[in-house]
Amino acid sequence: MIGRPISRIKRVVLSALSVLLLLLSYTWISHRQHQINPQDTTIPSWGQLAEGAKKFTQPDRKGHRWLIEDSIATGKRLAAGISLGIIFGFLIGMFMGCIASVEAFLQPPISLLAKVPQTAALAVYFVFFGTGMKMYVAMIAFGVIPALAVTVYLAIKDIPSEMLDKAYTLGASHFETAYEVVFKQVLPKFIDAVRLCIGPAIVFLIAAEMVVGDVGFGYRIRLQFKLTNMNVVYPYLVFLAGFGYLLDYGLRFLQSKICPWYQNDSK
Amino acid sequence: MVVKQHNNYALDCQKVSHWFGATKVLYDLNLKVRAGQFVSLIGPSGCGKSTFLRSILGTHPPNQGKILTMQNGSLITADRPGRDRGIVFQKYSLYPFLTALDNVALGLKLDQTSSLFRIFNWSGWAKKRKVFRDRAAVFLEKVGLGNAINMYPDQMSGGMQQRVAIAQALIMEPEIILLDEPFGALDEATREELQEMLLQLYQENQEALSKNKKPPYTLIIVTHELNEAIRVGDRLIGLSQYWDWKKSGFDVSPGATVVYDREAPIFKPNERPNYESFDIIRKDIRKYVYNPDILQSRNDHLVNDLV
Repeated sequence: MIGRPISRIKRVVLSALSVLLLLLSYTWISHRQHQINPQDTTIPSWGQLAEGAKKFTQPDRKGHRWLIEDSIATGKRLAAGISLGIIFGFLIGMFMGCIASVEAFLQPPISLLAKVPQTAALAVYFVFFGTGMKMYVAMIAFGVIPALAVTVYLAIKDIPSEMLDKAYTLGASHFETAYEVVFKQVLPKFIDAVRLCIGPAIVFLIAAEMVVGDVGFGYRIRLQFKLTNMNVVYPYLVFLAGFGYLLDYGLRFLQSKICPWYQNDSK
Repeated sequence: MVVKQHNNYALDCQKVSHWFGATKVLYDLNLKVRAGQFVSLIGPSGCGKSTFLRSILGTHPPNQGKILTMQNGSLITADRPGRDRGIVFQKYSLYPFLTALDNVALGLKLDQTSSLFRIFNWSGWAKKRKVFRDRAAVFLEKVGLGNAINMYPDQMSGGMQQRVAIAQALIMEPEIILLDEPFGALDEATREELQEMLLQLYQENQEALSKNKKPPYTLIIVTHELNEAIRVGDRLIGLSQYWDWKKSGFDVSPGATVVYDREAPIFKPNERPNYESFDIIRKDIRKYVYNPDILQSRNDHLVNDLV
């Protein structure tokens, strides 16, 4: 029946079954491919994948450990870009939501910026910021700021005016109203928005790394793909997926800890 | 029962007129409310009761005339919301991110400490916070919610939420508390419980007056339920757009004004009123306030200033 809950055991069994099915079908497809061409590297066998794992975990001829160096490079870029984006996106959204003149002033550029596809605008960032760290940070930050700012701004507009009027009858100053009432109310929705913008941020970053990077996940994937070393590419994709999932899980955990009152439907 | 009155006014509205563009809402409205009075504000829908309440609150100051409220011991123009006036809305009175206790304690926190104090004087703030929360617990006990202090508004019933909202307003000890159809969304039984809670406050007023002290609570309650108005209030104010403005020289309605001002019977909290006995008052109100066909001229309005 539609919407009828199932038992916990059933749920676990079904989840495990789906993963198992995925692994089995991969093994089957890879096996079929190797029957046709034993040298195939497009759908590597488990043995080939183990070789690939060795390649990116052990030091190469120049002593580089790919996985570690790529993780550090990509992680740094992402962390710096997202942090900057979070700070400015939040501040811009707060000011837009609280002060009508800022709202009128910033709304046109923000709504326009939000519509520019960041990967298409890569060239602009190369011209303005070169191809170093600055470029990655600027690209990610500018990419996420419009979405975050708009989320915060709309969340503030959603707050019933009664709650703001009430704050003043309780002796709040303007700053206190902004912090104690507006900020605290907007916070969980902002965390949701950050969760949603991490995906696009990774897309921007990987795309830029593919074009101009000399280290990082995007660079490695492009290089190994050119050599059809899919036994490196696939595990890297799994790492990216796992990383994204962990980050999302962490943010959800953070949200449930600091906003226990918030009923999150998107779990 | 002799109703004792306090000499100080908590509210003084002088010649208040209000309009939104071409829509005239209030016309030449005069009203004085004494400290300790429970005023029931009634009137046909669309007569501007809520607008009037918001004028007093200060979010919509009148276009003409003056609204003075008691602020730091003297009557001062109320042109913005302030801590001397408490408000209980029909909904959105509570902050969803705070528990019942913290919702009630919030006013003390905002009023008595500053952001800088809370950031830079951690130990001082921790001590104060405990004092505030203890006091909030006392107020929650007073409104009958001693066992729900850690619940979030979403987890509470509508009646509980309104109790918290009233405690949230009471803890500030405002000069006047405004209630905008506070029980409009509640079922009959809950409504009566909350009316009894307000009557409890009225009784505290009477006790204070009999000891020659200032009564602690002054209330204006907007309601469309006449029985509620008569039971809770000790004074009935009827606001209506139905009066003979043509006789006063207007071509179009200049807005609603006070057409009815009468004392209401006083009830004890545990006293179940015989609602049939309200009939005479209700008929009176229907005739003079609600009936568009019975128009009194300005001078005939049933207004006594209850001085």
